[in-house]
Amino acid sequence: MAAGAPALSRGRAAATPVAHAGVGRWLAYVGIGIGVIFFLFPVYWMLATAVKPPNEWLTNPPVFVPSRLYFTNFTDALFFYNGVKGLMDSAIVAVCSTAIGMVIGTLAAYSLARFKTGGTNLSFFILSILFMPPVAVAIPMFLFWSNLGLVDTYLALIVQYLIFTVPFVTWLMKGFFQDVPVELEESALVNGASRLRAFWEVVLPSVRPALVATALFALIFTWNEFTFAVLLSRGRVTTLPFILPTLMESHNILWGDIAAIATIGALPVVIIAFALQRYLVRGLSFGAIKST
Amino acid sequence: MATVVGRRQASGGGRRFALLTVAPATLLLIGISIFPLLYALRLSFMQDSLLSVAPPRFIGLANYDHLFHDSLFWTSLGVTVVFALSVITIQLVAGLAIALALDRLPRYQQVIATILLIPSILSPSVVSFQWRQLFDYYSGPLNYFLGLLHLPLQGWTASPRGALPALVLVDFWEWTPFMVLLIFAGIKSLPRSVFEAARVDGSSGWQVIIFQVLPLLRRVIAIAVILRLISAFKVFDIIYTLTAGGPGTSTESLAFYTYVQGFRYFDLGYSTAMAFVTLIMITVLARLILGFMERPVGRAA
Repeated sequence: MAAGAPALSRGRAAATPVAHAGVGRWLAYVGIGIGVIFFLFPVYWMLATAVKPPNEWLTNPPVFVPSRLYFTNFTDALFFYNGVKGLMDSAIVAVCSTAIGMVIGTLAAYSLARFKTGGTNLSFFILSILFMPPVAVAIPMFLFWSNLGLVDTYLALIVQYLIFTVPFVTWLMKGFFQDVPVELEESALVNGASRLRAFWEVVLPSVRPALVATALFALIFTWNEFTFAVLLSRGRVTTLPFILPTLMESHNILWGDIAAIATIGALPVVIIAFALQRYLVRGLSFGAIKST
Repeated sequence: MATVVGRRQASGGGRRFALLTVAPATLLLIGISIFPLLYALRLSFMQDSLLSVAPPRFIGLANYDHLFHDSLFWTSLGVTVVFALSVITIQLVAGLAIALALDRLPRYQQVIATILLIPSILSPSVVSFQWRQLFDYYSGPLNYFLGLLHLPLQGWTASPRGALPALVLVDFWEWTPFMVLLIFAGIKSLPRSVFEAARVDGSSGWQVIIFQVLPLLRRVIAIAVILRLISAFKVFDIIYTLTAGGPGTSTESLAFYTYVQGFRYFDLGYSTAMAFVTLIMITVLARLILGFMERPVGRAA
């Protein structure tokens, strides 16, 4: 029914694995086991540090399991090291840029997928912007924002992040729209609906899972963004990724407090990822494989 | 009949709609990427330093010429190439292995895929902080483990020889999961019947993987490699936070050196010239790999 959905909602059950015999199943178990330990250990270490009392931050041998849970790190991080401000600034910038990017990008994606507007050149132009190193546009953009007196404002960062969110949303959604059968809109058009209405009432609902997945990625991306945050902020708009390195510059690094801020920054993203894992795994892979 | 009418209507009323819907994205992207790029291009032909009192003046290709003779530029290019090639090779091998292993699990594939994906969805800031802790000479667990194994302790990001490999390790940790996810999805989209037939023929599991699976995954692998190659080529964040290009210039990548020239020495003309050269290199690379991808292959998706 939902046209963009098959790839997203295909059952979660493991189909026949590619290789049955010959490759020992134990090898797979061991490999995954090592992988999980390797990829999670740094995360565990951050979490552990975040609840370690100060005398266990910098010891030799290191403390693997905190002797007690010391939550003062979190209250310090939130209220003493601008954690609350960081959370708010990150949220404002990420949500605004994602919302605007979704509207603009989805419309463009539909146009590219359905009408082949501008041919492959326009598609490639939009995609190629994702390849651009932020440093390449950072200087002109910095001069631009400072001429307007807007350096270090929400507006500057939100607009700046559209440089990722718009091409990214366009690129992903284009792949999904291509799978929507034309007949779906045509019957609506024949019945007298306008283009916009057909798009809004017929096409969009059929790609809802894809929209969720795409918005999710844009949100994670903007929440985490580092390079522009560092290049365009001067200390007034301080997203979490901006705050962290500034705290690490001091001589006496407050590991526990920084770990607490880092945990606070990581938590929303990880929670979103797990809550919507079905969309996450299928959405990203489907989009990446489908498009280009 | 109805479809014919529908199609006619679609092409008639569609044009304006098509242009109107694509316009905001196009105009916006021209405004925040093409326009600044053109401005940067102009800047790259100027002598424009915020530190000098002299007004900006046109100097033609002098910045590019300087680039050619700047040994630090060549060092940073070398660092970038070594970094990119190293991370892509090990990420591809590990990514393939883990994706194939994941595919063999009887249950919980999706949960484990999501757990494994955590490093790739964290902010580079958070990643850097985690590794700062792990790399700590005195209290870090990595040196603790080395000590247990009676191996010499490492300076990691603080040692001239070890810093680049340490960054490769961090990037490996951060982005291999992304590779796993892409390849895993590619495997999932392959037609199962091929492999079953091959197994009936008596091919071993390894043979199936090497002769049947890998060729069919070519397209997915190419996409994964191109995405990683491009981001490895513009690596900036973990360098900024973990080594600041040091010790010395041992980890100064192209993007970081561009940043140093532009935002520390305020030599805008020179910095933008360097950014342009990087951009051209990335575009050429992307074009090459895309060209390779567009050659007729069995469609994986």
